[in-house]
Amino acid sequence: MSQEQTTRTLQVNGEVHHVAFPVHHSLLEVLREELGLTGTKHGCELGECGTCTVLIDGKPLLSCLELAAECEDRKIETVEGMMRGNELHPLQACFADLGAAQCGYCTPGILMAAQSLLEENDTPSRDEIVSALAGNLCRCTGYHKILEAVEWAAAQLRGDESYRLPESAFYGDPVPGEKVSDA
Amino acid sequence: MKPFQVALPSTIDQASKLQLKDASPFMAAGTDLLVRIKDYVTVPDMIIDLKRIDGINGITSDDRGVWLGALTRMHDVAVSEKIQQGYPALAETIRNAATPQIRNMATIGGNICQQPRCWYLRHEGYSCAKNGGSGCWARDGENEFHAIFGNKVCAVVQPSNAAPVLVAYGAVIEVQGSDGKREIPAGEFFVTPEQDPRKDVDLTSGELVTRILLPAENRTTRWGYSEAREKQSFDWALASVTVLLDRGGRAGEHRVVLGAVSPVPLRRKDLEKILAGGAVDGDRISSLKKKVGEGATPLSGNGYKVQMLQGLIGKAVRQASGQKEG
Repeated sequence: MSQEQTTRTLQVNGEVHHVAFPVHHSLLEVLREELGLTGTKHGCELGECGTCTVLIDGKPLLSCLELAAECEDRKIETVEGMMRGNELHPLQACFADLGAAQCGYCTPGILMAAQSLLEENDTPSRDEIVSALAGNLCRCTGYHKILEAVEWAAAQLRGDESYRLPESAFYGDPVPGEKVSDA
Repeated sequence: MKPFQVALPSTIDQASKLQLKDASPFMAAGTDLLVRIKDYVTVPDMIIDLKRIDGINGITSDDRGVWLGALTRMHDVAVSEKIQQGYPALAETIRNAATPQIRNMATIGGNICQQPRCWYLRHEGYSCAKNGGSGCWARDGENEFHAIFGNKVCAVVQPSNAAPVLVAYGAVIEVQGSDGKREIPAGEFFVTPEQDPRKDVDLTSGELVTRILLPAENRTTRWGYSEAREKQSFDWALASVTVLLDRGGRAGEHRVVLGAVSPVPLRRKDLEKILAGGAVDGDRISSLKKKVGEGATPLSGNGYKVQMLQGLIGKAVRQASGQKEG
């Protein structure tokens, strides 16, 4: 059977794209192949691993199980849209500083799920972070550093200067950033 | 996956006619259907996407109770005040289902119509009674997640966590096709393999679930829900027990429904009778535990589900009667 093409207007990271793609393609495929936004990763393709998570209208969804043809007029956000100008989003910076990413394959999906959490709740408890990230698998980190990074980013985003990470959250030398010298 | 076309009907009638024409599958969120298509278990030329249909999304209430539109997302059901206050067991089971992402996507209508998760059924290489052939591979094969009740023809378990809870609340499934509407009690909506091994639910071609009614007269604050699974996230129940006591404030009207142990949610009138016999004390819980496995025909790998049910029923009954974990 021929691949029927369709054309849709997709709004991704605040930019409007008129894009043609096979109608059966998932949002993940269209983001990566038609729009060149390869930050969002292919994982299990079956909804189990969460690495393809993007935000649609602010909510974390699985782009591997969402048909791109269904995404017209919806606000799509991917990891490429997280930076603020030339500055990393605090979540990205905290993940980098704490080694919350190792191989990095799950990181874009986890960043999106965490961003959605922090937009709703600027002081999440450890349990709330665990629940919000329950749909994202990571096979490297053991999750501990991810949870610490989200807590640290939450503190930065709400301007909580009294927040102190435990020294144990950092590994290696040199210690990253000035914030550590206060700690 | 094999390419397919997507039809986007805007009315139930259009959707219904499209399916009557060439038996294309309906898709709500697609969190089950698209996975089956990717696995070549279902290979349609076209899917009928229901998301553009008006009037079957959202939660409303009237004299009869609370209505869940079939396209209402699982997350929205779980956080709805109407559901949390009136039907807390349903909010509880959905709150823990799947993953946050899936709950943001999947719909309550799709949830009760999803295909069972039997690994033989969902494998392109196996043919069985449920997908047009004959026999059941699980009965003599790998069957640790399969049914221990009603498993002679086919040993799948009903995969929806919400289904047994809907049965316990006496929910009504409203379906509509080109011949009009029907209302089906949730207890009859799920089809046993003996009735028809090819069917999971009582829908004929062209019919789709439009709304689910949770009747006002079946509310109760005395509820218990317990469930065991292998992992907390993205997993299905190994077994679950829903207990509602004094439904609608009517003394002695209890419901006990078992989930994930048979091809359909299993209402257990014999256990309800034991509960109706008097106060929930240690003796009564012991009799429930003794009785819950009665009639089970475990397969080679799933006998543990009987013991599991014994633990779960104690937990659910204690929760429903306001007792601490013991």
